[in-house]
Amino acid sequence: MPLWEEILRAVVGSFFGTVGFAMLVHVPKRAWLASGVIASFSYLVYWGCLHIGFSDPTSIFLGAFFGSLAGLLCARRMKIIGTVFLMSAVVPVVPGLGLYRMMAFLAQNRIGEGADMGIRAMITIAMIALGLGAGGMIDKMLHAHSLRNHHI
Amino acid sequence: MTNHFTEQTPEASCMEALQTAGRIIMENGGETYRAEETVNRMGTGLGLENVESFAVPSGLFISYRGEDGNPVTSVKRVRRLGRNLTRVDEVNQVSRKVFTGEMNCAAALARLREIDAMPGAFRGIWSLPAAFLCACGFTALFGGGWLAIAIAGVVAALVQGMETLLDRFRNRGLTASVVGGFVTALLPHLLVFVIPDLQVELIIAGAIMPLVPGLAMTTAVQDTMRGDMVSGLSHGAQAILTAFLIAGGALLAVAVIRQITGGAI
Repeated sequence: MPLWEEILRAVVGSFFGTVGFAMLVHVPKRAWLASGVIASFSYLVYWGCLHIGFSDPTSIFLGAFFGSLAGLLCARRMKIIGTVFLMSAVVPVVPGLGLYRMMAFLAQNRIGEGADMGIRAMITIAMIALGLGAGGMIDKMLHAHSLRNHHI
Repeated sequence: MTNHFTEQTPEASCMEALQTAGRIIMENGGETYRAEETVNRMGTGLGLENVESFAVPSGLFISYRGEDGNPVTSVKRVRRLGRNLTRVDEVNQVSRKVFTGEMNCAAALARLREIDAMPGAFRGIWSLPAAFLCACGFTALFGGGWLAIAIAGVVAALVQGMETLLDRFRNRGLTASVVGGFVTALLPHLLVFVIPDLQVELIIAGAIMPLVPGLAMTTAVQDTMRGDMVSGLSHGAQAILTAFLIAGGALLAVAVIRQITGGAI
């Protein structure tokens, strides 16, 4: 696949996929566009890190980390709950395919490969949690005394 | 004679406002720390003294010092668990206004009742296009072709329709996750008999995305980061259980297909 197509898929796919997901959890309408943009940004960071040679877990961590920072900044500016944008930042990297592959291997009695996929999926989830946590911690430190911190 | 069932003292209506705000947040996918903060800030904004709140995913406890100096405490059981971030956001706006003194207790309670009754923009049949869009986007992201994108969208919309039906029978949640995972994996495998070169794996990966517990995962991390381990672990367990149930449904579907095809797929 040419590079331009990969980038186009990353931006457009994560944008529309996340906007659809946001609609399903009834995200406020004024946050739809920003949710998609945050998701695209987060996925581009992940994709870029992978492309320059970082490992998959590190790339996921960095994508979630920068995505959560951008999301919390956006939440502050738009005065919308941060959960909306944090969720958007992580949805594109949730290991849906990994979990499915794990089960497909297990159904074929390929236990070793299934376990390998399961562990990879769990590592991905842990990296997402770490990235979100680290982003939230940095944001909290930066805005510890801000009055605008109310309920973000 | 005073009718105690229809007339409330200002203090009682303040307590109801706090309860309603906390309950709406927790019933609609908000974090427990957010429910506690909202109650505390609203209580302070309403002029109540020594406001304390404690929330766990299944209940909310509120306490403050009453006018007579004695503590007033209430317990609210939270049963319904949904996903409506617009309601959570609206409660947040009310909380801001109460905290800054722009809204009094009666106005806050009236607005909270409106929010509680507010229908979601994408409920029922309207959630189908949202699921379609979500699945199409993610299938494109994973590298699917036009046909795979379209099929993933249709499968996700069908599964969403089934979830809506299950919801009508009060059977959403864990059952819906298993059924959703099963149907999402089964339909593309069946289509292979008609379209042999179908990108089955990508279709399933895309169509499964509307089911993934992205909100529960985010809530778990947020609660844990705020030091609320009980709620964090509870939401985390819910997210992992949901993910495994979806995958379990997919496993069943693959097993059924392997039985039908004699292990060829």
